[in-house]
Amino acid sequence: MHTVKMALEAMATRFELVLMGSDAPSLRAAGEEALAEIAHMEARLSFYRPTSEVSRINRAAASGPVRVSACTFRLLQRAAAITESTGGAFDITVAPLMKCWGFVRGRGHWPARDALQQARSVVGMQHVVLNEPNRSVAFLRDGLSIDLGGIGKGYAIDEAASILKECGVNRALLHGGTSSVFALGAPPDEKGWRVAVPLTRSQADGVCLPQAVVTLNDEALSVSAVWGKAFQNDGIVYGHVIDPRSGMPVAGAELAAVVHPSAADADALATALMVMGTDERSRALQNFGTLRFLVTRATGPVVAHGIDIRARVPIEAPC
Amino acid sequence: MISRRDFLRTGGAAASLLGLSRAVEIRPDPSFVRTRPPQSADVNIGVIGYGPRGREITSTLSRVPGAHVAAICDSYAPMLRRAQRDVPDAARYEDYHQVLDDAEIQAVVVATPTHMHRQIVVDALEASKNVYCEAPMASSVDDARAMAVAAQAVSDSQIFQVGHTYRSNPQHRSVFQFIRSGAIGSPAMGRAQWHARQSWRRTSPNADRVRALNWRLDPELSIGLVGEMGIHQMDVAYWVLGALPTKVIGFGQIMAWNDGREVPDTVQAVFEFPSGMHMMFDATLASSFDDAYEAYYGTDSTILFRDRGKAWMFKEVDAPMLGWEVYARKDKFYKETGIALLANATQLDAQNQDPTEDDPNVETPLWYALNEFMDNHEFGPYLPAADYQRGLEAAVIAIVANDAILQGTSLAIDPALYTLG
Repeated sequence: MHTVKMALEAMATRFELVLMGSDAPSLRAAGEEALAEIAHMEARLSFYRPTSEVSRINRAAASGPVRVSACTFRLLQRAAAITESTGGAFDITVAPLMKCWGFVRGRGHWPARDALQQARSVVGMQHVVLNEPNRSVAFLRDGLSIDLGGIGKGYAIDEAASILKECGVNRALLHGGTSSVFALGAPPDEKGWRVAVPLTRSQADGVCLPQAVVTLNDEALSVSAVWGKAFQNDGIVYGHVIDPRSGMPVAGAELAAVVHPSAADADALATALMVMGTDERSRALQNFGTLRFLVTRATGPVVAHGIDIRARVPIEAPC
Repeated sequence: MISRRDFLRTGGAAASLLGLSRAVEIRPDPSFVRTRPPQSADVNIGVIGYGPRGREITSTLSRVPGAHVAAICDSYAPMLRRAQRDVPDAARYEDYHQVLDDAEIQAVVVATPTHMHRQIVVDALEASKNVYCEAPMASSVDDARAMAVAAQAVSDSQIFQVGHTYRSNPQHRSVFQFIRSGAIGSPAMGRAQWHARQSWRRTSPNADRVRALNWRLDPELSIGLVGEMGIHQMDVAYWVLGALPTKVIGFGQIMAWNDGREVPDTVQAVFEFPSGMHMMFDATLASSFDDAYEAYYGTDSTILFRDRGKAWMFKEVDAPMLGWEVYARKDKFYKETGIALLANATQLDAQNQDPTEDDPNVETPLWYALNEFMDNHEFGPYLPAADYQRGLEAAVIAIVANDAILQGTSLAIDPALYTLG
């Protein structure tokens, strides 16, 4: 049994890939093709590259329909479906709010009332028209923009995983920036790949213990967390996760982890779970059957389903 | 903290005074791109070969006005399943003859392995289809000539375009004029490289498929790195320099991927031009350092192409003033990134990017090439910039260079090979 490890810098993060199998050159060839697919995805989906399909949509879709590739269109449809099934808690049009709250280039700040109102008026998937027959995208309002940051990495991982399968690989682990992971099959004699979900803060002695270890087999795990990109106002910590419906950052949200057969869905649902309150979450989860997930907030108990949580330890210092 | 980009934006003039940068970005004239009349009917296209390149072409065609991918052909079932997912309304064929028999299809794109181009292209032209053939056009001189003869015979009524995409790229066309007008002074030499860290191997659970996929590593079929990659750069070189090379010296080694392959993973070639000027090319699969670029060195300035069609000029201090360079954007070189000992360095870099910094309307060279192909359906047929003659010339350069590399020797290029006579 050979193990091949590979990496790629893309989507403003590092992707890493571990492949196991009987022939190292074949594993590497499969890995190269999978990572090349991720690079292709970045070229299409990047919010920052002026030549990406997303940038073209953002520039032109308010003036008329913009045709996009099948791959990008599929992802936009998927994102719209998740927006609907999460009652708008996940929304790829949230960028103007992120900008307004100062989370795009900084740690965030309290915005002016006018600016917030303006930003809220140009957020919402209801303002985006996806026309299936000619695979085009149109905005119903000026100022809208699409940012696939909350789902694109997972989608790229899904596409890469499907290439690995097509290449005959059946044991691999692929992650992007450690926040989106896909496990293909399992290492020999194991039930799955064991992946740790970290605590958001460390113990008093500075040791960071995982708060859960998840076993994945042909499944993805996505973790959404505030990780320090936050500011305080009147003693309340506001992280960079914004509720697209209220336009407000979610106070107290710490971490959400989701296990799902698709990394794209896991990414989007982890973001949605960060945003949702308890009651809303219970209602929404009915749409997702037996979803395995875990949510932690600054106060209150850890909520988990299908994921074992270790005993939580007192929290003193930042991790 | 001030970012590098902010610094360049606000401090560009000071930077150039300090001599930090004399690189002037050269931008194309937008009038190179024509607009199709909106009412014209879409052209039904059949894509033959649905590997990574065929998929890229199909995806790009979805954004090219006037193009409609109506059929996809691949002999391998999993590729056709991808086609079904990507373009559900397109017909799917296992055999390219089915595409040629489909009366609805007006044009085909040939994106199969290079050694399969000849038969498909000749048959497609005979079936009265317009043809866009990926470059290199062929992996043997016989094949290239047979294809050129077939295309020449029908050039009054049918389109045959080779995938030398830079010939259609407004950026290259603009810089071409710039170099030809003498802006670099007297040309002294050229240099091109193509560097990547990859095995060039492909894999599949199916043993026959593995053999078919690895045609680039089959010494009987492959024209190696100079043929599959360098050909695009050498095509630009002889276009820009206005003359075909007369001689090539080559070397090839297996330096990184000693996995039983015979096709070199690292090559060097030096091309001689009639003026006496030489152009060096090297390619490797061992290292990705500094990616791919071409540079033309002249007595007044050097022009550098990189990042799929961007170009910069580096002036000598005593070169004549051109005037406009004072106002042009200046970029600091090199932009190649080594290991940065900073947490989240890549993330910060991406977030500091201004989405509107580069010309936002620029398309990829492939888009421009396919757009030219569609324009030709509307306004032609006329000989495209990358026609059968250019396809033949570039293929000859690549094939002879590959021979020189494999033999580790110097080979004269018979001028008769370049012409159809």
